[in-house]
Amino acid sequence: MHATKRVLLSLAAASVISALPAAAQNKSTLEVVKQRGQVICGVNVGLGGFSLPDSQGKWAGLDVDMCAAVAAAVLGDATKTKFVPLSAQQRFTALQSGEIDMLVRNSTVTLERDAGLGIQFTGINFYDGQGFMVAKKSSVKKLAELADATICVAQGTTHEFNMAGYFRSRNLAIKPVVYENQEQMYQAFFGGRCDAMTQDSSALASALATRNKQADYTVLPELISKEPLGPFVRRGDDVWAAVVRWSLYAMMEGEEKGVTKANVDEQLKSSDPLVLRLLGVKEGNGKALGLDEKWAYNIIKQVGNYSESFERNVGMESPLKLQRGINALWTKGGLMYPLPLR
Amino acid sequence: MAALSRTVLAFALVLFALPAAAQKTLDAVKKRGELVCGVTGTVPGFSFFNAVQEWEGLDVELCRAVAAATLGSSSKVKFVRLTPQRRFEALAAGEVDMLASNATFTLQREAGLSLQIAVVNFYDGQAFVVPKSLGVKNLAALSGSGICVTAGTTHEDNLAGWFRARRLDYVPIVLLSQEAMYEAFFASRCAAVTEDSASLALAIVRRGVAADYFMLPEIISKEPLGPYVRRGDEAWLDIVRWTQYAMVEAEELEVTSANVDEQLRSNDPAVQRLLGVRAGNGKALGLDEKWAFNIVSQVGNYSESYERNVGMNSPLKFARGINALWNKGGLMYAPPMR
Repeated sequence: MHATKRVLLSLAAASVISALPAAAQNKSTLEVVKQRGQVICGVNVGLGGFSLPDSQGKWAGLDVDMCAAVAAAVLGDATKTKFVPLSAQQRFTALQSGEIDMLVRNSTVTLERDAGLGIQFTGINFYDGQGFMVAKKSSVKKLAELADATICVAQGTTHEFNMAGYFRSRNLAIKPVVYENQEQMYQAFFGGRCDAMTQDSSALASALATRNKQADYTVLPELISKEPLGPFVRRGDDVWAAVVRWSLYAMMEGEEKGVTKANVDEQLKSSDPLVLRLLGVKEGNGKALGLDEKWAYNIIKQVGNYSESFERNVGMESPLKLQRGINALWTKGGLMYPLPLR
Repeated sequence: MAALSRTVLAFALVLFALPAAAQKTLDAVKKRGELVCGVTGTVPGFSFFNAVQEWEGLDVELCRAVAAATLGSSSKVKFVRLTPQRRFEALAAGEVDMLASNATFTLQREAGLSLQIAVVNFYDGQAFVVPKSLGVKNLAALSGSGICVTAGTTHEDNLAGWFRARRLDYVPIVLLSQEAMYEAFFASRCAAVTEDSASLALAIVRRGVAADYFMLPEIISKEPLGPYVRRGDEAWLDIVRWTQYAMVEAEELEVTSANVDEQLRSNDPAVQRLLGVRAGNGKALGLDEKWAFNIVSQVGNYSESYERNVGMNSPLKFARGINALWNKGGLMYAPPMR
């Protein structure tokens, strides 16, 4: 017992020393990643649309693209990534200990996570939240049209509570049909028991994709609760936090400026000063971040802009068929607002 | 065993990290018993020393909210006037605890100047003003009209880009200076005038003609404004960021300065967490659990502050536009406070 403990402690001490360069010696993860030639990302073990390995072991998803974008920005090559699948219990410890460089694992940004735990959030790459699914033949397009509808919901969840509050505050009556668990709710809904069903929108889309029923059902674009998901880095490494944050913003800015994987080379000759700055033709952004001036060009060329990544992974070109909703650009009714890249 | 050593390791690292991320600014503010806030001081609606010798404005109230959160009193603030040329240097040198000075967030400011963006408290950008008598309510309705703009500015490019993208026509009336542009507009040489919204509001208020003009709700460029803090002080960064979010969350949950005492008895778990009835948020931030209660009780929620300083209860009369809550068509979105 005593011996075991000593071994354990010396192991821990050794790990601390080896992990120190990455995490505690004021050496930014940016330097570590450049030296190693690879970005190590913590991801979900398997969540369709966000991070999922295919039969060849190649990872794909919105979170995976975020990681690839950082590799393109820092190393000039979006494939220089390593994905570490992590459970919900493991994820934050893995980041704190320096085992991974960043965590992109559909993790909700909350106050206690941002302020505690030795980690910090860098941005939001997907606004999730409680959504509603309806049959396409019902031709319901918005939540207000669910007045007097029967809605399947799982018992004792915040979903039940949120739904009651949402409709009550709008003076709309609904008929909740409550199930003991999520699986029973799915069965009942797909068995035609309710006009609508409610859950987090990504879970609804995933349920639809798993059952291959995208042709008959759809997730409405409105969300009634907040589950903003985004990448986390270690607290205190502001240089690295900036690299991750602006990589995400570069993808959004690419969309806002109409710069795509396909046209990025032409866009190098754009007359728009904001496009020229984004792509590094006008220098400055790269230097400020400690990156090559081609950093954002490399992201868009190799990974695509935010819209391309969204549609391919969770949107209309994917099995999930999620609409943009609040994940649209700010100019199109959504919340995606890249801060100015200048 | 692997899992156990990982736990030990994480614990060790947290201990190591503490001195580096020392709660420098928070400790200094508590010890001093006063928050020192850098402001512009000359922008009505944002930070302005008014005729009765009081500070007022959206940025001023954010400083007051941080004082309420950290010291329990929104009046424990000293305001320091800083020019745009001096402000970042003053923050970096530790002369002020935070900057709330109409500074646009940009990549090169955040990544280059040893500063950190805390949060956006006002999405500014290029806007349009029309005479009320024109009866126009949105930008598309200006199709075919004359629009005054200053030559050689990004405003000129943005204006052209917005109308071209929508295949709408307009008549650019290009003036050589901002002053000439406003003169032309107020002499009715064009149907509308375009500039950043704060500049437009100032021009109207200065001429005492606020009652006769209307700002259209569309903002067509990005000038996100908000507080800056020093890099490397995450504990302080979090406090400033979540102070703004607490004001936004209070608006979303309909907790106001008038009803906040009643709301202590709310059965909504989100309200209980916000107001510290359920503990946790205060501890995570290193603050009293009443921190957000004090903000709302003494300063108000974001909507109250907005309407009083730049909105309908102010001379500026800004519509909420993109500064509305996320579930009302705007961009104001507080991540969950739990």
